[in-house]
Amino acid sequence: MTAPIRIQGFTNEVLKWKPWLDTVNVDTATPAQLAALDEMSPQARTSPYFLVLAHQPEILLQRSIAFNAIMFAPGGMPRAERELGATVESRVNGCVYCASVHAQRFEQLAKRSDVIEQVFEEPASAGTTPREKAIVEFSIKLGAEPGTVSAEDVRALKEVGLNELEILDLVHSVALFAWANRLMLNLGEPVFPADGS
Amino acid sequence: MTNLPEALPAIDVVDDAVPLAPNQPTWTLRRQRDKVVAATQSSHDAMFSHAVEGLTRTERLLVALHACRVSKAPKLAAHYREELAAENADAAVADAVESGDIASLADGRLRAMLAFAGKLIERPIEGDRAAIETLAAHGLSTPALVALSQLIAFLSYQIRLVAGLKALAAAEVSA
Repeated sequence: MTAPIRIQGFTNEVLKWKPWLDTVNVDTATPAQLAALDEMSPQARTSPYFLVLAHQPEILLQRSIAFNAIMFAPGGMPRAERELGATVESRVNGCVYCASVHAQRFEQLAKRSDVIEQVFEEPASAGTTPREKAIVEFSIKLGAEPGTVSAEDVRALKEVGLNELEILDLVHSVALFAWANRLMLNLGEPVFPADGS
Repeated sequence: MTNLPEALPAIDVVDDAVPLAPNQPTWTLRRQRDKVVAATQSSHDAMFSHAVEGLTRTERLLVALHACRVSKAPKLAAHYREELAAENADAAVADAVESGDIASLADGRLRAMLAFAGKLIERPIEGDRAAIETLAAHGLSTPALVALSQLIAFLSYQIRLVAGLKALAAAEVSA
């Protein structure tokens, strides 16, 4: 096991998340709440985050469908790059929990973590190839200043080889994490593992 | 059934805001991810077309108008303003929100929700437990707080999706 990355308050370690609101009790949950949780993932029934969101089952259900369609759709942008877009957006928004989860997913898919270290250190200059740098730059801009994204930014992605479906997948992934980060940051907080455990 | 639709949208809100028409390459491109198109519109409907426990539809639309104004998303802001008019919401209140004059609003609960929305849109890192407790003190229940957070977070998604599609469409015509 390699040492965990810990840079600028961000990490690729497995964190927990503590909600600031009551969670739905699975044993007394309504069928609609259970359906929304199960649409998200097999683990959602034990996740404090999803058990908070289950207070609004119809909203959670639709969000779960969108989430899985964006992150797991076949073809288009390689899944590792979607995870990179998600990690950059989470880094820029300061969502330590989301950044840790999606840094881990990037590593599982790409079998490396060099660009993750760069993103944690300084997102503006991160990227190990021209393609990665362009993806990171676009993600930062769409995340931080969506009103300024232009045809020029799309052309910059095309110049390093992205096709239009890949660009659409990147837009979806960054936009999705604008959504996810704001829930994670405002309904609870990350909990770090005790050092040396 | 508690989720009876209050108003069925005839349009895809994202396509309408970009705007994208069915004869455009970017419209066709977007359909390659048809599950995302459907779930995005259904999320919008879950926020605005159904009853949501704890928040009135007018409150939800005012939060949306404020979020779009703060994010400099004029087309989406116009959409929510029209929905407010169709709802017969107080025009003076909508005017105040549209011009960013939150401080002039008499309704303390609405002021607190809009302040929360503005912060969450612009500086999500500043989210803290005290903000949630302030809203709870204004009478927002746990389901209402979850709905409000989901609403603001969804708008952040919708605004970026529209911005990205607009750039894709613009790149096509100038290619």
